[in-house]
Amino acid sequence: MPLPITSVTIWVMRPAATAITAVQRRVEDAMLGAVEDAVERAIAKGLVERIVEQLLREGIVERTVDRIFDERRVVDELAKRLIESEALWVLVDEIAQSPAVTEAITRQSVGFVDQVAGEVRQRSRSADARLERAARRALRRPV
Amino acid sequence: MSYEGLVTRSIAFAVDAAVINLIAIAVGAVVALAISVLSVPDWLETALVAVGGAAYLLWSIGYFTTFWSTTGQTPGDRLMQIRVCRADGERLSAGRSVLRLIGLTLAAIPLFAGFLPILFDNRRRGLHDMLAGTVVVASASPAQTPAPA
Repeated sequence: MPLPITSVTIWVMRPAATAITAVQRRVEDAMLGAVEDAVERAIAKGLVERIVEQLLREGIVERTVDRIFDERRVVDELAKRLIESEALWVLVDEIAQSPAVTEAITRQSVGFVDQVAGEVRQRSRSADARLERAARRALRRPV
Repeated sequence: MSYEGLVTRSIAFAVDAAVINLIAIAVGAVVALAISVLSVPDWLETALVAVGGAAYLLWSIGYFTTFWSTTGQTPGDRLMQIRVCRADGERLSAGRSVLRLIGLTLAAIPLFAGFLPILFDNRRRGLHDMLAGTVVVASASPAQTPAPA
C-alpha cells in the first residue's frame, strides 16, 4: 500500500527540524559563551571604566540625562511612580522624625519668634518715645 | 539705666493677661465639664461660682507677686525684655509685690489715669510704682541707683 504524501513529509521533516533546533541551540550557547567571555575580559582589562570615563568626558551622560528630563512624559511618569511608592512616604516619615530635622525646625521656629518679639520691642520703644514727646508737648513741658 | 515706657509695659501686661486668662479658661472649662455630668443643687452651683471667682483672683495675685518677687519678670516682661525692681535696683519682696498689684488696680480704676504719670515722670513711674517704690527697667541693663525724679 503506497504511503500517503503527508506521512512521507512528516517522516522526512521531523528529524530535520529536530536537527535544526539542536544546531540552533549549540550556536546560541557558543555565542552566549563568547559574549560572556568578552564581557569578562573587558571588565578585567578596565574597558568598562574607560568607556564610562569617555562617556562622562564627552558629556554624553549629561546630554542623555538632559534628554530624559526634557522628555516631560518620562519625568511625569517617574514622579507619579515615586508618589505612589509606599517606600517614599516611609522615607519621608523617617526624615521628618529624624532629630536633625526636628531640631532644625525648632531652631527656625524659635528664631522666628525671637525675630517677631525683637521687632515688637523695637516698635514699642519708638512708640513710647513718640507718645511721651506728644504728651510733654501737650502739657508744654520740655521734651 | 533705661526705664521702660507705657506702650512696652502695656504690651507686656497684655501678654500676661492673655496667659492668666487662657489658663483660667482651660481650668474653668475642665471643672465645668466635670460638674456638668453631676447633678448638683443650685446653692452648690452658686457656691462653686464664688469659689471659682476667688480662685481666679488668687491665681491672678499669685501670678504677679510670684514672678515680681522671684525673677522680677513675668512672662510678658520677659518677652518684652523688661524687669520690675525696687528704686535701688534690688528685687521686690512679696509684700511690696502685693502693694504694687494693689496700686496697679487703683491706677486702673479712674479710667487708667493712674498710668498717665508714666508719660511725664523722669523714671517713667506710674501710680503703682510710686506707691510701691518700684521702677521698670530694661532687663539687659544692670540695676543702678536711679537719679531722683
